[in-house]
Amino acid sequence: MSDAIADAVRRGELRSVARLITRIEAGDPTIAATLRDLHAAAGNTPIIGITGPPGAGKSTLVDQMLARYRANGERVAVLAVDPSSPFSGGAILGDRVRMNRHNTDRGVFIRSMAARGRLGGLAQAAADALVVLDAMGWDRILVETVGVGQNEIDVLRHADTVLIVQTPAGGDTVQAVKAGILEVGDLFVVNKADTGSADRTVSALREAIEFRTHALGADAWHPPVPKTAATDNQGIAELLTAIDAHRRHLQDHPEQLALRRRAQARARVTEHLAEILRSRYLQPTNRSERFEAIIDEVVARRCDPSSAAARLLHD
Amino acid sequence: MIGEKIRCLLAMLGTDVHSKGIRTLAQLLRDRGVEVIYLGEHNTADGLINALIAEDADVVGLSYSTATYLHYTRDLLVKMKAAGVDDVPVMLGGLIHADDEPELREMGVKGIFGPGSSMTQIVAFLQDVTGKTLTAP
Repeated sequence: MSDAIADAVRRGELRSVARLITRIEAGDPTIAATLRDLHAAAGNTPIIGITGPPGAGKSTLVDQMLARYRANGERVAVLAVDPSSPFSGGAILGDRVRMNRHNTDRGVFIRSMAARGRLGGLAQAAADALVVLDAMGWDRILVETVGVGQNEIDVLRHADTVLIVQTPAGGDTVQAVKAGILEVGDLFVVNKADTGSADRTVSALREAIEFRTHALGADAWHPPVPKTAATDNQGIAELLTAIDAHRRHLQDHPEQLALRRRAQARARVTEHLAEILRSRYLQPTNRSERFEAIIDEVVARRCDPSSAAARLLHD
Repeated sequence: MIGEKIRCLLAMLGTDVHSKGIRTLAQLLRDRGVEVIYLGEHNTADGLINALIAEDADVVGLSYSTATYLHYTRDLLVKMKAAGVDDVPVMLGGLIHADDEPELREMGVKGIFGPGSSMTQIVAFLQDVTGKTLTAP
């Protein structure tokens, strides 16, 4: 038996889709059957992840990519993730400002999502939202996050092709290595290439990438470093060609694609496991007397935190 | 429901470019725990409605500093009704003349926050029309 909301999603009823994503964001447990239904048929739409530091031009880049995909007749969905205020829990979701010209185009669907304070839950919510978008039958899905934390990086695991956006002013490659993003990226885009020393940034990135990939063998994907100037619509066609080349590479190397899918599935299951544990032990309303009694022991140093966790799990 | 947030779409319609007010409001609302979907200036009614649907916004806020607000607001409300999203409440802020309030109310505007309005009033309005509580002070 198929689920009524899932059917509405598949028919492309936008309000149903939007409300379902709101319920995903709120952690509503009553939509489990809908998500199960949608998940079964998902996994067919290419998902492109875009990340980079604030101000690197990610949203402007997405805007130009949208324009070019639309010119090719492709229908595209965008999930734009922005940080929440750690103080108030509120957020200003402003990515759409750069993409406003697509608001009247029914071939484009843009949804903003706030990172909210959830530990790891962001990746889970974003992944479920991507399953929903996938089920709607778009030709491509773009997911944009600010590359500032582990939560945001985790979101990218659900993408098939990951773009790391840098700028000539983004510091040297030590910054990239430090952030641990070299391992995540399939393409390293140097945006704002019309300013500063873009070529130096490109060669520094190439060197860092080569340092990591030279031992991987001839079959491995070697991330290219395309230059763009998104506000002037420069380099976008070349960028899209490089994205397609990565997709073809995965298709030509099914074993690499399989590894990627497996890593995605593993991350998804792990996130859910973590969420179950978190809601079991960390929700104030779920904290049992037993839990508090063990905390008392830790405070009194009759039990150490690691043993306490083990005892709780074995209860 | 656990984790429910007020999602508020803020936008300006037409050629109005005085965005200082709406940007300030966006920050003040964020600091009170609202998720603001900021559309900025130069929106069309059709574009705003598509964004409103995709974002599943609870409420729409429009800012005006020119005298064209009666025309633009009426146009938006008519199109919202046609699109079946007239259940989403609309509030207005900026230079709204008191003489125009009855006409705006009649066309369906739920909240009007002209010069001298306070954040307390706006927050109370948002909680009232959405039925959701803001946890931040």
